[in-house]
Amino acid sequence: MARYAADYSLPHQLYGCVKYADYPHAEILNIDISEALKINGVEAVLTYKDVPGENRFGLIPNIRILADDRTRYLGDAVALIAARTIEIAKQAARHISIKYHKLPDVIDPRESLKEETIKIHEEGNLVVHHKVLKGDIARGFKQSVHVIEQDFSTPAIEHAYLEPEAALAYPDEQDGIAVIGCLQNIYTSHKVIAAALNLPLAKVKIIQSTMGGSFGGKDEASTLVAARAALLAVKTKRPVKIVNSREDSMIQSYKRHPYYLNYRWGCDQDGRLLAMQHDIIADSGAYCSMTPFVTWRSVVQAAGPYRCPNVKTDVRGVYTNNNYTGAMRGFGSPQVNVAIEIMMDKIAEKTNKSPLEIRLLNGFGDGAVTATGQKLSHDVSLKQVLTIAAEKSDFENKWRQNRSKENQSAPVSKGIGLSCSYRGVSLGAEGVDAASAVVHVQPDGSINVSSGIIDMGQGAQTALAQIAAEVLGVSMKRMRFLEPDTTRVADSGPTVASRGTIMGGGAVKIAAEKVAELIKEILAEKHKIRKESLLLKNEKIETKSGKRVCTFTDAVKLCYAKGTPLFANGVRYIAETDWNEKTGRGNAYFTYVYGANVAEVEVDRETGKVNVTRFISVHDVGKAINKSMVEGQIYGGIAMGTGYAIMESFIQESGMAKTINFDEYYIPTALDVPQMESFIVENPDKHGPFGAKSIGEPALEIVAPTIINAIFNATGKHIYNLPASLEEVLLGKKLRRDVERGSLSCKPEV
Amino acid sequence: MVFHQPGNLDEVLKLIHNLAPSCRVIAGGTDLLVSIRQKDNEWPEHLINLADLKEIKQIHETEEEIIIGAAMSHDEIVNHPLIKNHIPLLAEASRQIGSQQVRNRGTIGGNICNASPCADAVTALIALNADLEVCSVNEILRVSLKDFYLKPYQTILKPNEILTMIRIKKLQKGTGYSFIKLGRRNAVAISRINVAAVISKSKTGVIKTAALAAGSVFPVWKRIWLAERELIGKTVAESLFMEAGKITAREMIEKTGRRWSTPYKEPVVATLVKRALLQASGLLLE
Repeated sequence: MARYAADYSLPHQLYGCVKYADYPHAEILNIDISEALKINGVEAVLTYKDVPGENRFGLIPNIRILADDRTRYLGDAVALIAARTIEIAKQAARHISIKYHKLPDVIDPRESLKEETIKIHEEGNLVVHHKVLKGDIARGFKQSVHVIEQDFSTPAIEHAYLEPEAALAYPDEQDGIAVIGCLQNIYTSHKVIAAALNLPLAKVKIIQSTMGGSFGGKDEASTLVAARAALLAVKTKRPVKIVNSREDSMIQSYKRHPYYLNYRWGCDQDGRLLAMQHDIIADSGAYCSMTPFVTWRSVVQAAGPYRCPNVKTDVRGVYTNNNYTGAMRGFGSPQVNVAIEIMMDKIAEKTNKSPLEIRLLNGFGDGAVTATGQKLSHDVSLKQVLTIAAEKSDFENKWRQNRSKENQSAPVSKGIGLSCSYRGVSLGAEGVDAASAVVHVQPDGSINVSSGIIDMGQGAQTALAQIAAEVLGVSMKRMRFLEPDTTRVADSGPTVASRGTIMGGGAVKIAAEKVAELIKEILAEKHKIRKESLLLKNEKIETKSGKRVCTFTDAVKLCYAKGTPLFANGVRYIAETDWNEKTGRGNAYFTYVYGANVAEVEVDRETGKVNVTRFISVHDVGKAINKSMVEGQIYGGIAMGTGYAIMESFIQESGMAKTINFDEYYIPTALDVPQMESFIVENPDKHGPFGAKSIGEPALEIVAPTIINAIFNATGKHIYNLPASLEEVLLGKKLRRDVERGSLSCKPEV
Repeated sequence: MVFHQPGNLDEVLKLIHNLAPSCRVIAGGTDLLVSIRQKDNEWPEHLINLADLKEIKQIHETEEEIIIGAAMSHDEIVNHPLIKNHIPLLAEASRQIGSQQVRNRGTIGGNICNASPCADAVTALIALNADLEVCSVNEILRVSLKDFYLKPYQTILKPNEILTMIRIKKLQKGTGYSFIKLGRRNAVAISRINVAAVISKSKTGVIKTAALAAGSVFPVWKRIWLAERELIGKTVAESLFMEAGKITAREMIEKTGRRWSTPYKEPVVATLVKRALLQASGLLLE
């Protein structure tokens, strides 16, 4: 039975909660905790002054465990309370009084870089500015017959993992501290918590609990919860548990970056791209979580999988007083893909081509050179996946039929849309790309596999165990995958960037191969045969000529009898990327994946209601380690992307989050998800275990533009600002509540 | 907090009489528990449970009426043969409330008394011209549902009164009806707008009676008399129904003024009224 972080309890534990900021942007002049401390049952109240070590962390270390100089968004914690019950803790929070000097709020990221705008951080409001420059953009536009320019925007959205953040921290033996948490990246959490407590890493142990979803969301947001629990546990010398409610989670946690994109493309008479210029602003919110990396993926992929001699891209991440933004499935690609794929349909329209024709004309083939100057040396399967998606959906016929006046003027119009993408696999030139795994065959032949790659529900445990079973020639019945902790498995980097299978799987394969090697050596010696002639398969060890040597279990027993425990560590490290930040040139990722999607919709033109009726998703995954799980990723990606396309938006008004539970923050239900079909294409890649690449993020990253393009096919109107809500589809704009809801202001007190 | 589990209606009324206003009644709890949680678990001093009272947990019929106990859950209403046979409009509206879990617990009485302007069942009940029975220790009052609301989330119920019964005239054979709900998604959605229509017409298609109601449109529940008056005596036609829709939209602006949501709601409420009338008159199949 799975145990989630909130399921863990210890005797004498206390309950922790935070005192939230009262203003999105204010100087903190004084924090008075004296009244809170007087409350019976309150065991500790902490402010930033009580943090023994580093209070700040992050890529640019400005995320505060506890707000110190200022509050920067309403999810900031100004104080921490530990009490005997959660009710007492919350009561204490209400008795903390803070003196502020209120500062102007920066809400619109497009205003953030203006000279007159107040600086949210000492270093200014610019988080990062990435550039890519290829060819001569001015010349490209000069040569162009058609030039199309368009603004786009995409909203902040919530990860909506089923399990909100939770952690249990407790003083451990030998002056150590242990934290059980739901953490997407235990190795980062480990460093942050040790630094905050001013303890060596060896005294801090982070234990991964079963996770109820993450989608990129349980990095800093969960680290903060774990770090706060740890601070309280050290202070009180008792176990402290913090469990976020859904509202806590929504208010505190980071979101997907909202983007404002200006795209300007030029092409020749036939639609061949000659110039692509992109100017993009990403709202980083109050702090710098993953903004430098998220926007880096955007800058690398902003021109899409299309050949073009002249490209200029600028992406700026900026601070505001909104919720900070960070990693979320797709990581900077869903936003640019919305713009890219709508632009592609506009070029098609301009040059009288179908969406398929224009993509086949401009799309990458083998050996193509990307906007960053990288020559693609793997199987470039873009046109393969596009063709399959179009054929399986009868795209060309339906697309033409839907363009009839009759359809486009009916109350409910049908539409079909197409999109494609390429995606850099794993971290790329972001940083060191290495993962570790341990394969431990027990004396009875049962097997433990562990890796620093976290299973958040995506099925990493199964895929990685399958890889070990395949190498050792045994069935999955023998396998048990252990959740990692930081004392058992070496730093594996984060479980992000769709790198679980390719990197973690690679590490497991290496570890399992080491074990297989040990077994072969012992058997070769005993039976006086060459170890190269031995094979592990079907639960047996046999020679290449098919002669049975012994069962796997007997081989294991023999190894232990010979003093050879079957335990091995594997490390997969790939260092084939390079990047020049100044010129925006380089081999950004060691390999790429390709996908194509088709959506069919029905648009109620009188209400703006969009129903997505059918969805076809084609992905080249290199090699499917587990077909059902690949399909699961694809279906989940379609569901999540449908929400991004037509309903999701994390609404903040003057920094105040308005959609803090699922009564108002809408994600698709089973009745909103289309009928889905997936097609898996396999072009094995030399970097991956058995040729496997990625699927987690590719499955999501073009769902939204596919649906938006289908809406265009149905109505003849493009949507440029996500989501395609009722109002956006009917009126071409969002309507924002400018007053408190009329009905709510009448609501009586309970 | 003291939790009371009375055994019959009399006990409830006595408790309320003695404890009001420091008590609240609870039936399904789908609104009350949420609002208590939103206020940091500030419980009322006394909570009186109505959920298991046989007297208000039944549906029966007279020759002319269906009488629904206020503690009947939405799910029970959706599946009840008397409702399906005689007032299928209510079954249709109840079927679209919240989620299956909410329909299992939430009650029709709660939906009425919570008085949210978007309550799905209430739109249908207004169009069905429902009457309510309101009880206190002193008396049983019969009031028309259309007179029950003062403003959003506020009814005429006094602290010592509870809603016990909902009485609805059976729909005559040949009466057409329709309920349309528009939400931001296809399930578990708060109504952006909902519309209920009930129509009877002659063999030649002349409209004899018409009842129209819309939710999330007006601050206080009401029939859309002006639109109904436009319909009566005229032959069913799409253009006529569109006119009724436009009248409804004008009424909405008259009553609420131009609000942030008006640019959307004005054309859409007109369309939905038109569609509901088309469906109710048999001119448009779902």
